[in-house]
Amino acid sequence: MLILGIESATAQVGVALGSHEGVVASAHSSKDRRHAESITPMISFVCEQANVELTDISVVAVDIGPGLFTGLRVGIASAMAVAHGLGVPMIGVSSLDLGAFAASHSSRLIVPCYDARRGEVFSAHYRSVPGGVQRVSNPAVSTPDELAAELMALSEEILFLGNGAERYREHFEMISGIEFAGNGLWYPSARSLVELSHPKAMREEFVSPSEIEPLYIRLPDAEINWKVRDGRS
Amino acid sequence: MAELILGIETSCDETAAAVVGDGHDVRSNIVSSQIDIHARYGGVVPEIASRAHVEMMMPVVAEAMVEAGVDKDDLAAIACTVGPGLIGSLLIGVSAAKSLALVWDKPFIAVNHLEAHLYASFLEEPDLELPVVVLLVSGGHTMLVLMEGHGNYRLLGQTLDDAAGEAYDKVARYLGLGYPGGPIIDKMAMDGDPEAVRFPRAMVKDGYDFSFSGLKTSVVNFVRKNPDVADVDIAASFQEAVVDVLLTKAKRAVHEYGAKGLCLAGGVAANSLLRERTLDLAMADGIEAFVPNRSMCTDNAAMVAAAGWWRMHSDGPAPLDQGASSSLRLPTYA
Ligand SMILES: [Zn+2]
Repeated sequence: MLILGIESATAQVGVALGSHEGVVASAHSSKDRRHAESITPMISFVCEQANVELTDISVVAVDIGPGLFTGLRVGIASAMAVAHGLGVPMIGVSSLDLGAFAASHSSRLIVPCYDARRGEVFSAHYRSVPGGVQRVSNPAVSTPDELAAELMALSEEILFLGNGAERYREHFEMISGIEFAGNGLWYPSARSLVELSHPKAMREEFVSPSEIEPLYIRLPDAEINWKVRDGRS
Repeated sequence: MAELILGIETSCDETAAAVVGDGHDVRSNIVSSQIDIHARYGGVVPEIASRAHVEMMMPVVAEAMVEAGVDKDDLAAIACTVGPGLIGSLLIGVSAAKSLALVWDKPFIAVNHLEAHLYASFLEEPDLELPVVVLLVSGGHTMLVLMEGHGNYRLLGQTLDDAAGEAYDKVARYLGLGYPGGPIIDKMAMDGDPEAVRFPRAMVKDGYDFSFSGLKTSVVNFVRKNPDVADVDIAASFQEAVVDVLLTKAKRAVHEYGAKGLCLAGGVAANSLLRERTLDLAMADGIEAFVPNRSMCTDNAAMVAAAGWWRMHSDGPAPLDQGASSSLRLPTYA
């Protein structure tokens, strides 16, 4: 079972390849946001490094967001095309799941938080469980202040991670019991994607390329404006 | 054996894929249009367009292959529009096309959307004799191009402000007719008097550049002062002015450069008056006119596959780190 993982939901872009032996090759870049330029060459690169043929790939996993829309879609479009082209199934995983999974050693409440731009962040709450993490709240988009008020009200030990946590650090620092994770956890990674997808692949939790749906959470601005207009008229 | 190219196009609001042999033999041409989705907003909303492209991309590619009755092994290359257009939309096609090229081990051909429009005529007239003058008119572009050879273009003139299609949309919006303006005004004009109002023909006598923003303004001013004139007459008179300017210049270019013919291209080339008058030119002035089928004028992937076939033979494949460019220009010389 050879899994190709493609991840591009945040400022980082990455591709990884793994099997029951774990991740066997990966490439990540968080500079210049050249996601569309990087992904295809990265796929070639990881296959060469792992000494496998593209046709050996049996599953394509992809980060379905939430994340920055354009970059996110570049990864999803690439992954769909690879899966369609090879005739293999897909696994879609949320960026927030990936962030929490990378911190699954923690006994605290794990809160990944990614920059959504325009003064907002994407976040959700997780708990460590044997073999991974379990999501205990719905993925949400909110302002840092709204999220800070929500976390404060929980009065819990929190492990806070992601580039949103870093960018808006001063909004959260006064929350007692909060711990900021290091910069190794700033972005969801393709390595986590492949690791997390392996048990799902063993359980055959597959979808077809046409069933993969991005997790946007936020509506397009035009639709938001339209709703406002509808409400008034 | 024919060289089959899979073409992919996502530069604006159409998700399209097509299989074309040897640059002209259209085996399939699938277009998933988003016009209905954008109509309520009165124009293309980039974020909504991108969301629809992701949803439609693989089904459209699959359908193009099935309808053409081809398998990946039959393809010679995969060609995709890399610009100009909406960047978020372009990137979806480019990402999918490069990935398919990688896993199917096919050359990836980068296609300029404007060049693709120029190739619409070759889909029906593969032996078109050059040079020809191409009048490329769409929602985003209005240009007169002298095509002297394949890949060999001279930009004679272009719009200095609004594109012709944009003028249609703006006038339709002002008159409260809906979106997209082109087909709506075209239809209304059939019941109106094109002589009812003499709208200005900007720069009609000088050079090959165009200007349509003044025309739009004079329509607005006229309607304000004359609220009783019927919309159908306004539509017909406006359309008359647009087509008059476009064809006066196109005709002059054909004569000045000794072109063998005049080709229409771009979404506005689906306009009935423009098509009819272009064919009239052929009758009256002995100019060979090539008016491609409407479905080849509006955005489609068959024209991308056709241009891609020529590019494959002239430039060869593009690298897999190819990106997209919203402002890509037609490669021309002065
Ligand atoms: Zn176009």
